[in-house]
Amino acid sequence: MDGNEEGPLMDTRLVGPERVETALEANLRAIDIPPRPLIIDRIREEMMQDNPCLRRVGQLINADVGLAAGLIRTASSPSFGLRARVRSVADALMLLGLEVTSRAVAAISLRRAFPNSGHYARFWDASARIAALSGWLAQELDLPGVHAADAYTFGLFRDCGIVILLRRLPSYLQTLARANDDAERSFTAVERAEHPTDHAVVGALMAVDWWLPDEVGEAIRHHHDPAALTPVESDLPTLSRRLIAVSQTAEYLLQQLRGESRTQEWQKLGEACLLLLGIDQEDLRGMHAEATAIIEAVD
Amino acid sequence: MPGGTANGAQPATRDPTTGFHLRSSGQRLLARLFAVADQAQASLCAMWLDLDRFRQVNDSFGFAEADAVIARIAGRIRSVAGDRATLLRMGSDEFALLLPVVETPDAERIAGRLLAVVDQPILLGGILFRPSVSIGLTWRHAADDPLSLLARADRAMGEAKRQGGNRFFVVAAEPPGATSAAWSARRDLEIESVLQASLATGDLELHYQPIIRPDGSIEAVEALMRCTVGGQQVSPLQLVAVAEKTGLIVRLGEWILLQGARCAARLRAQGCPTKIAINISRLQLCSASFLSVLHAALICARLPPDAIELELTESLFVDASPVVQANLRGAHEVGVGLAIDDFGTGYSSLANLKDLPATKLKFDRAFINELPDDRRAFAILSAITRLAGELGMVVVAEGVETAAQLAACEAARVDATQGFLHAKPMCEEELSHWMETRKAR
Repeated sequence: MDGNEEGPLMDTRLVGPERVETALEANLRAIDIPPRPLIIDRIREEMMQDNPCLRRVGQLINADVGLAAGLIRTASSPSFGLRARVRSVADALMLLGLEVTSRAVAAISLRRAFPNSGHYARFWDASARIAALSGWLAQELDLPGVHAADAYTFGLFRDCGIVILLRRLPSYLQTLARANDDAERSFTAVERAEHPTDHAVVGALMAVDWWLPDEVGEAIRHHHDPAALTPVESDLPTLSRRLIAVSQTAEYLLQQLRGESRTQEWQKLGEACLLLLGIDQEDLRGMHAEATAIIEAVD
Repeated sequence: MPGGTANGAQPATRDPTTGFHLRSSGQRLLARLFAVADQAQASLCAMWLDLDRFRQVNDSFGFAEADAVIARIAGRIRSVAGDRATLLRMGSDEFALLLPVVETPDAERIAGRLLAVVDQPILLGGILFRPSVSIGLTWRHAADDPLSLLARADRAMGEAKRQGGNRFFVVAAEPPGATSAAWSARRDLEIESVLQASLATGDLELHYQPIIRPDGSIEAVEALMRCTVGGQQVSPLQLVAVAEKTGLIVRLGEWILLQGARCAARLRAQGCPTKIAINISRLQLCSASFLSVLHAALICARLPPDAIELELTESLFVDASPVVQANLRGAHEVGVGLAIDDFGTGYSSLANLKDLPATKLKFDRAFINELPDDRRAFAILSAITRLAGELGMVVVAEGVETAAQLAACEAARVDATQGFLHAKPMCEEELSHWMETRKAR
């Protein structure tokens, strides 16, 4: 858990000798939150070109077998919004485009950038299921402006601040338990009563650093804030509010179907979420069978 | 010589209200300034100042009152412009300011200070009137004549006004025919899109300039933003202005906090512990979540609060907003350093000094520029340094460029100095190398 469990994606040999990091630099990274993988920078650089070259990006991704496999798997997943079957990185790039590919690469990199042992594994498993359910829900509900890839990415990144705070603050595990159980105060209010910051702010900071779209970053910052979900009080972009509603609903489905990820969030935010999505409890029950299939596909 | 020029002016050409030169003598004065600049092969900066909403004062109070206000504001402009400037009254509420041998950062600093001094309330018929000004800033192009230079400054002012006033707008030196109405808006768009792209690709860089104590040890390093648009460096002031206008400042500010904290953490890990000073804009400090973002950056970088220092203008320290005050107190209580930046430029008040939670005071470069020749500047520097020391503040002199200025600062017993004499701002790699080399010495 000392931050050097990063996968080959973080191996900068893939992006040119000029960026090769020394062992010292790799060690220094251990003091940090995971920096944005350089491959995302290279994809962004390509996007800035007048004629972006998909082949060049494809070569970069293919040079990292794990990343290539991850991209094909992610792009093929029903949660990511593609109806077509993806067989190669080139397919994925063609079908997703550079923007969504960069989102997918960020999503795959996230888990590899963090430790994957012990209770973290359970945390990531739950995040992966929430992400998959979110991507699927976004398509199922056909919400205007909400791309399945955004909903998926948000579901995955939403709580990454928790992992960072667990590694940084010794008493945070107890805080987390209290925040999960508190039916009155907001989750982040419980955190801030005991610490100078909260996981939503840390996650939003990481979103800035990893170049996630603004709306995703803002959704991370406010995903436990009841006032942010109500249209009158909130100046959050509609997309951010819908992303929050989708992921909270996905988490609620997971709780109902698997008994996982126990929190009090649905009691505090559920009503506003259903309102935002234009559905009711009955509609939710009607989704159980398909949602179960989505969860099983992740497993 | 109020509003004067070193070139000797005729008293008969002065405006009685402001003491500035009259518009009618503008062409003659400019021709002379052009000739002097040509001889010295030096630049010439022109600013056009237009008071915002001044017709209201004329309409509501009459011309006598309005003249009194104009005289007050003219005095404020003169106090910032200094003796080297040539000041002209171009209209009832319009002025031109010409400054020889001034480069971009200094000119923008002066424009910023003009905004600050004008933006102070004036009591008018029992009502507090808050004046503000729009400023257009440009430089002389080799093909300019006096009129084309002033016309460009006026156009830049129009753009500042169009953006809401109480701001300055810069138009680069360009040949007189190149005028395009859409130019300024395009420039802003260009900066905005580069800013967006830079945040994405990491082209936006932080550079670091060390602040050195008299014994050679490092007091802190200041993080400064670097961004290139169309092959030209964009000044941090302009960058922040565009970022504030477009709302990018929140993301940019968070990015800078995180990158700065990371740099400090890496330097620590390399055995070069140093405090990192980060400039904070008004919009950031007005945010209720500022403290939790600050802590998030510290926690992410595993940095203790006293390893970071926030640089703020004095006006922010005395801002009445409860959120700003709570943020300042909160940062101060956990040991984050708070530096008063650009001290001595706005309406610096000694009465304020005793109440501010500041831990450091940074003398503006404009002040240090006057050293060592100006005995009065030296007297103020050493007196304030002693005073600030007794209030528990560290005093830093900015913009130290010559050995004579350094000697004067040390004679005034300032705690540390910053400027090209020691080092230019460097990227992290260069800074780390620079620190290692000094350590070895």
